[in-house]
Amino acid sequence: MNAASCNGCDIEILAALTPRYDAERLGVELVPSPRHADVLLVTGTINPLMKDRLKTVYEQVPEPRHVVAIGACALGGGVYKDCYNAGRGIDAVIPVDLYIPGCPPRPEAIIYGILKLVTGGPPDPIEGEEAIVK
Amino acid sequence: MSEDLQHGQRKELSAGLIQYSVESAMPFGPIHPSLKEPEYFKLILEGERIVQVIPRIGYVHRGIERAAQERTWVKNIYLFERICGICSFAHSLGYTHAVEALTPFEVPKRAKYIRVIVAELERIHSHLLWLGLLGHWAGFDTLFMWIWKDREHILDLEEAITGNRVHKSYSTFGGVRMDLPDGIAAKLKTEMKYIEKRVDYYENLVGAEETLTVRTKGVGRISQETARRLSPVGPLLRCTGIARDVRVEDPYAAYDEIAPRVQTSNDGDIASLLTLRLNEIRESCWMVSEAAERLPTGPYKVSIPRAVPRGESMFHVEAPRGELFYFVKSGGGSAPERVKIRTSTMANLLTATEMLKGCTLADVPVVLTGMDPCFGCMDRISVLDVGQSKEWSVRGEELRTYGIEYYRKRLS
Amino acid sequence: MSSEDLAKLAASLGGSLATRPKSVELTITPDKVLDACKSIASIPGLYHLTTITGLDLGEEIGLLYQFWQGRGFVVVRTAVPKANPKIQSISGTLASATLYEAEIQDLLGVSFDGNPYLGKKLLLPDNYPAEAPPPLRKEADPEKIRKMMELE
Repeated sequence: MNAASCNGCDIEILAALTPRYDAERLGVELVPSPRHADVLLVTGTINPLMKDRLKTVYEQVPEPRHVVAIGACALGGGVYKDCYNAGRGIDAVIPVDLYIPGCPPRPEAIIYGILKLVTGGPPDPIEGEEAIVK
Repeated sequence: MSEDLQHGQRKELSAGLIQYSVESAMPFGPIHPSLKEPEYFKLILEGERIVQVIPRIGYVHRGIERAAQERTWVKNIYLFERICGICSFAHSLGYTHAVEALTPFEVPKRAKYIRVIVAELERIHSHLLWLGLLGHWAGFDTLFMWIWKDREHILDLEEAITGNRVHKSYSTFGGVRMDLPDGIAAKLKTEMKYIEKRVDYYENLVGAEETLTVRTKGVGRISQETARRLSPVGPLLRCTGIARDVRVEDPYAAYDEIAPRVQTSNDGDIASLLTLRLNEIRESCWMVSEAAERLPTGPYKVSIPRAVPRGESMFHVEAPRGELFYFVKSGGGSAPERVKIRTSTMANLLTATEMLKGCTLADVPVVLTGMDPCFGCMDRISVLDVGQSKEWSVRGEELRTYGIEYYRKRLS
Repeated sequence: MSSEDLAKLAASLGGSLATRPKSVELTITPDKVLDACKSIASIPGLYHLTTITGLDLGEEIGLLYQFWQGRGFVVVRTAVPKANPKIQSISGTLASATLYEAEIQDLLGVSFDGNPYLGKKLLLPDNYPAEAPPPLRKEADPEKIRKMMELE
């Protein structure tokens, strides 16, 4: 769901479904209605026009449901965090299970994130760094 | 419910329904949405046909022009390119050129050529993206998948040159952020040949594929007279046969030395837009190869001091969707006093609503995609059927399925 | 329109003409704007209204009607007092001005008399606080506006 994003994340999400990255081979399918979905991908900084709509769409996803915030805007407002018409992250509106940072994140990062959501567990540690566990 | 209404009147019915007179003296009548959720487009139907469209934008309004006044000149490059993920480089070009115009510095020739290369690569990726989406909305998902796979070639090139696929942050004051990598000229020429071959293939495909031809030929037609009255820009203007392009009328970067041959098509319908954009991809492929061939040596940027002199400047560029306009006012400080941006979609919105008039609901997804909007307009649309006094809202996806079924029945 | 024509237009409207590197600017009072725009747009198709820009100049709100004429920009410059920011809409004659005026109505609080969006919002959310100034005015505080609209 595009909650006031620049479309950058949206096109990388769509790209993840196209043959180069092919998320569909992993069983990921884009569905036309929130009522058929298990996972809600949200991009963008919510602005007042989108806040209520986001809540409505979230409520339409049947349980068990998961929410993934994609991109810097959905995480914490991104580059617009001090704009008068932009929120600071969708987790102020709905509960989020997974955050995928990036501006926009690459399709590989999006697929990795969604797989992690499904298989569970913390992100694989980057060599030499502590694992960041949410 | 069937009472005659005076011209431009509305009548409150029971249960919160509002009946509208179809003919309104003004292009957008005195109508308030009766639904709580904001719609992007309110479609007013009579029988099967759309008679009036009221756009209500603002869902992506983020307050960027205001925020720009509190950021330094350089930080604003990162802000403005994120206005749109698809024509991000066009925004950074518009802004950097507008600011450079306030200074006495001249961008080096090599940088101008590089800017042309990346700008045309962006045009190709944007048109391919559009074509794929058109296929998706028309129910032709195979076309969408194949085109977006080819589009990855362009994104690879952009990543090799700028370091990123989407928001490239590549144009900076005085030139570009870094020089081209070694060997890129040969790679550009090879890839352009590949894209040109694919465009030939897609052109044959869309011409022969009935799913597309029946949904695009004669659909959403606008006349030259409408175009002159409403001042659209870009492909939407050129598909009516009017040959106007900012790169030719007001050349910037290296467009004075590598001038595009302005493409037009004549019928003003979605099929015309298809042909036109395919030809524009071809033209852009030629320009990228030419620029790669004739790339001058020299510096890729010139240093410009941080303080931007006082003044006002206007600059427009030909983004993939049309004329993109930047107005910059400097008070001599570290942040701009005012930046005004007029995007191509804003200029095209009224024309798009004209295109919808006379169409059926089934045509809406294709016609709205046809204008190549730079907002996720398909999220929700509100429909008002005057004849049946019914009002409801529909998701873009539902309209897409409705449109596919409608045309499948027509073709069988 | 040639510079001579513009100079004549400026004289007839009691305004002044300024020639800059990329544009010619005609400065007039708000009541003459409709006439000026009609003249500039009198060659259908050759003119193109690129946009209308609004500026907060302190006591006044500046309005720049920016036309592209195929060879250079022609700008009609005027200003309305902030205390009474009203001007005649040109959207009846130049339909393409409709949305540009509506944007300035939302963001700077100028009223364009005759614009279909007068009194309605094009860009701003419906719950934009009525007591807050329009967002592009200097006195507007983005942080305060966010809080009023309950944006965390």
